[in-house]
Amino acid sequence: MISKGATWNSNSCRIKFARRFVSALLHMRNRNTRPGSLTIEGVRTHTQRIKIAAYLSMAQAVGSRRAWSRAVLSKHGSRARRHSRMGRSSVGLKKTRVIRSYPPGELGQAKKLRQLVPGGKTMDMCSLLEETAHYIKCLATQVKVMQTLADNFSK
Amino acid sequence: MEPNPGTLAGSISIRSDQEEAGFESLQFREEIQRLIAVPPENASSFTALLELPATQAMELLHSPHSEDGDPAPLSADSLHGISDDHKSYISSFNGNLAFPSNKALVERAAKFSVFASGENSPETSLVPSNSSANLEKVKSEPAETDSNPNSSQPLISDPTVESKTQRSAKRKEREKKGKGCTKKSKNETSKDAQKLPYVHVRARRGQATDSHSLAERARREKINARMKLLQELVPGCSKISGTALVLDEIINHVQSLQRQVEFLSMRLAAVNPGVDYNLEGLFATESGSLVESNFPSMVAPLVCPEIPFNGNRQHYQQQWHFDALQQPLWGREEASHTFINPENSLLSYDSANSASLHSNQLKMEL
Repeated sequence: MISKGATWNSNSCRIKFARRFVSALLHMRNRNTRPGSLTIEGVRTHTQRIKIAAYLSMAQAVGSRRAWSRAVLSKHGSRARRHSRMGRSSVGLKKTRVIRSYPPGELGQAKKLRQLVPGGKTMDMCSLLEETAHYIKCLATQVKVMQTLADNFSK
Repeated sequence: MEPNPGTLAGSISIRSDQEEAGFESLQFREEIQRLIAVPPENASSFTALLELPATQAMELLHSPHSEDGDPAPLSADSLHGISDDHKSYISSFNGNLAFPSNKALVERAAKFSVFASGENSPETSLVPSNSSANLEKVKSEPAETDSNPNSSQPLISDPTVESKTQRSAKRKEREKKGKGCTKKSKNETSKDAQKLPYVHVRARRGQATDSHSLAERARREKINARMKLLQELVPGCSKISGTALVLDEIINHVQSLQRQVEFLSMRLAAVNPGVDYNLEGLFATESGSLVESNFPSMVAPLVCPEIPFNGNRQHYQQQWHFDALQQPLWGREEASHTFINPENSLLSYDSANSASLHSNQLKMEL
């Protein structure tokens, strides 16, 4: 029963993510018809954008249920993106100030984990572990989908 | 034996009003010793003390457990069978007892019922959490019945009847468990008597009983449960023991997954302008398919020098041809600017692919 629930959950997650991601890719490619995409920098920017699109579409597929998805959405939402592109906004500064008071418990590795998991800076240890588990599951599905996409399109 | 429980209960109930813990506990213990001296020490004596049939007593005690709705009316109903001499001292009370004391004693009676039924120590850790959850419900009941002194009396009878049984239960528990924890159980009784309004959790043997350490222990158990889940998720983690190593492994796994995402997005970026999802429009030539296969292999090496490989993705490296690394690098950049020169420079390369690739490039730029 547990495995059944897990596969159902990952399937729906996967399908939602795949759909959003492919549509994002299409959208990006339609935008990206200029010849600048053939330079290294162009490809790198494109890669970066694809990566952000992947994370964003994953967070959207998860929705606002999880703290990490909320953090990703707020970081890369349309408004937030403009702010971050313009330079360090006040939002970012406030966040760094708030962080230091929070992390209790096992300090050394938890710090690294907090940096890895989006939104992990303001979570306590217990919820950090929970979010990490869900995040790992979603990352794995993301990798699988992207893998099959890349395989299919580079044949 | 009948007058003894009556007087004991009466004295105990009167003293519970005062709430002087240490004094109380000493008094209780002496009385309980007297009480215990007479009846045999087994679970059935509990029900004998109550002078109720066993089933009814169990029902009475289990009513806070059941979470079915109203424990108070249930207890009220089952207490109608109490004998008159009990009710005589019950009537001496106003409705002004401290209700928190009732809850705690009821909860302790519930705990004792678990002992009586099974003596399962693992259950005690579960039961306290259940009963602490049920305390909320029991609290709501006294609030409702506060206005009604008649129904409050059965509630009062609960703790008074059960307090002596709990004291006896604690005494039995102490005797059964041995001398090692007498101090702790003494502290337990005194502290429990002091902290009547608060949540109670039965401590295991050899563990501290402050509210802080209990909360910490609950928190630690939660964290350990989550760690176990994570261990199952991360492959190869279940064999490792020790939190630090497991955390390291988890961090490595997350990092590797994120790196995989990055490489895959790079692949997709390479594939993306080359292969269109519509398969119409951009590559009108017959060499479209040839270019599609070659383009990623040519473009990917461009970008790979910048990215530190650390060698964990084998299949990515296989696709990339490091031989042609440097040459396509500047060959590509020139092509973006001019048409003519790259063609000449590229024709000097060995790979025929690059030539066809560049012809296509020219078409794109047009």
